[in-house]
Amino acid sequence: MSDTSDHIPDDDLLAAEFVLGVLSSREMQAAEQRAARDPDFAALVSAWQARLTPWTDEIAPIAPSETVWQRIEATLPAHPLRRASDRAPSAPWWNALAFWRGLAFGTGGLAIASLVALFVILAKPAQPPLVAALEAGGQRAAIVTLDRERGSLVIVPASLSIPQGRVPELWLIPPGEKPRSLGLINPERAVTIAIPASLLAAATPQAALAVSEEPPGGSPTGQPTGKVVAVGKLTNL
Amino acid sequence: MDRDASRRLLAAALARVAAGDRAALQSTYQLTSAKLFGVCLRILGDRGEAEDVLQEVYLTVWQRAGAFDPGRASPMTWLITMARNKAIDRLRSQGTNRRMEPIDVAEDVADAAPRADAALQSAQTSSRLHGCLGGLAAHEQAALRGAFFDGNTYEQLAERMRVPLGTMKSWIRRALTKLKACMET
Repeated sequence: MSDTSDHIPDDDLLAAEFVLGVLSSREMQAAEQRAARDPDFAALVSAWQARLTPWTDEIAPIAPSETVWQRIEATLPAHPLRRASDRAPSAPWWNALAFWRGLAFGTGGLAIASLVALFVILAKPAQPPLVAALEAGGQRAAIVTLDRERGSLVIVPASLSIPQGRVPELWLIPPGEKPRSLGLINPERAVTIAIPASLLAAATPQAALAVSEEPPGGSPTGQPTGKVVAVGKLTNL
Repeated sequence: MDRDASRRLLAAALARVAAGDRAALQSTYQLTSAKLFGVCLRILGDRGEAEDVLQEVYLTVWQRAGAFDPGRASPMTWLITMARNKAIDRLRSQGTNRRMEPIDVAEDVADAAPRADAALQSAQTSSRLHGCLGGLAAHEQAALRGAFFDGNTYEQLAERMRVPLGTMKSWIRRALTKLKACMET
C-alpha cells in the first residue's frame, strides 16, 4: 500500500466522499445532481459504490415486520410502464388478477372479528396466529386458523360442497407462486394439519388458501386438477 | 444458492419490475428486504424509522427499476446504495445524529471481518476490501467506519474523534486514496 501524500484527483475524491456519505446534505445533493448529468462523474461514483458497498457484508440481515410489505403494496402507485393486461389468457387460475382481487378484505372481516373472541391468547406469541375465511360464491365455506409457532393449522368446514367420488384438497398459495398442497381435508369435520417446515415460511398474511376437489387420494400431479370450491386470504389475527 | 445464481435471479426480477410486474417487486422484496432493513437499521438505529425508509426504497425500486443497469452495478450494490442514501438522507433531515458518542480508536477497529453469510455480493471484492481496510491506520479505519455505518459528516467525525475539522478531512482523504490504490493492485 502506497502512503503518498498525493491525493487522488478532485472528482474521484468527491465521488468517494459522496459514496462514503461524509458530505453535508447540500454537498450530497449537489454531487447527486452532478452524477445525473455528468457520465464521467457517474462512472467514478459507480466505481466507489462497487468498492465500498461490500463493507455492508458486516451487517446482519434482519427481517422487517410483516406490515412493511403490506404498506408498500397498499401505497404502490401505478407503474410508469403499466401494462394493459397482467396475465396471458392461458395462465392458471391462481395467477389471475381477479383471483387475488377477489380475496381483498371483504365479507370475511366480521367473521374473523368474531373468531378473535374464540381465541384464548395466553401469552403473546412471537408469531401471532393467522386466520382465513374461505368462501365459495359469497358463502362461508370454511374457517382456517394457522399457528405458525406450532406449524399446524385447523380447518373447520362450514359448507364445502364436493361432488360424489371426489375429495377436498387444501392448498397454500404464496403470491405469484404455484399452489403447494397441504393435504386432504374432511368436508364434514374439523381437521388439524401439520404444516411441513418447508411450507411454513410461505404461510404469511400475503398468501391465500384454496380448496379444490380432486380424485380420491388427492391430486396426481402435485397441482390442483379439479375445480376450486373455496378460497380465502390469510390475515393477521 | 450461489452468488452468481442469486445475482442473476435478482437482476431478472428487477427487469420484470421495470416492466411493471408487481409479483416481481414482491420477489425482490422477499430476496432483499432483510439485508436492506439491516442496513437502514444500522444507520438509523430505530426500527420505525428504518421501516419507513425501507418502504421508500421499494417504492423507488418500483418507479426506477428501469434505471438499473446490470452492466454497471450488481443488483445488490444498487439496492444497498439506495437504502444507505435514503437512510442517510433521513438521518440528516432529523438535524441530529444519534451516533455521536466519542470514537475510541482501539475499540472500534476490532471487528472488520466479513460475515459468513455475506449475501449476494462478490466474494472477491468483499475480501479485497476487508484486506485493504485492515491495512489502514486504526484512526483512518475508525473515521471511515463512522462515516459509512453511522452516517457521520466530516464535522461530526471531527467532534467524535476530537480532532480539528481539517485534520479529519485529511485523514479521510488519505484513507480513501490508500484504499483505492490497495484495491487496484
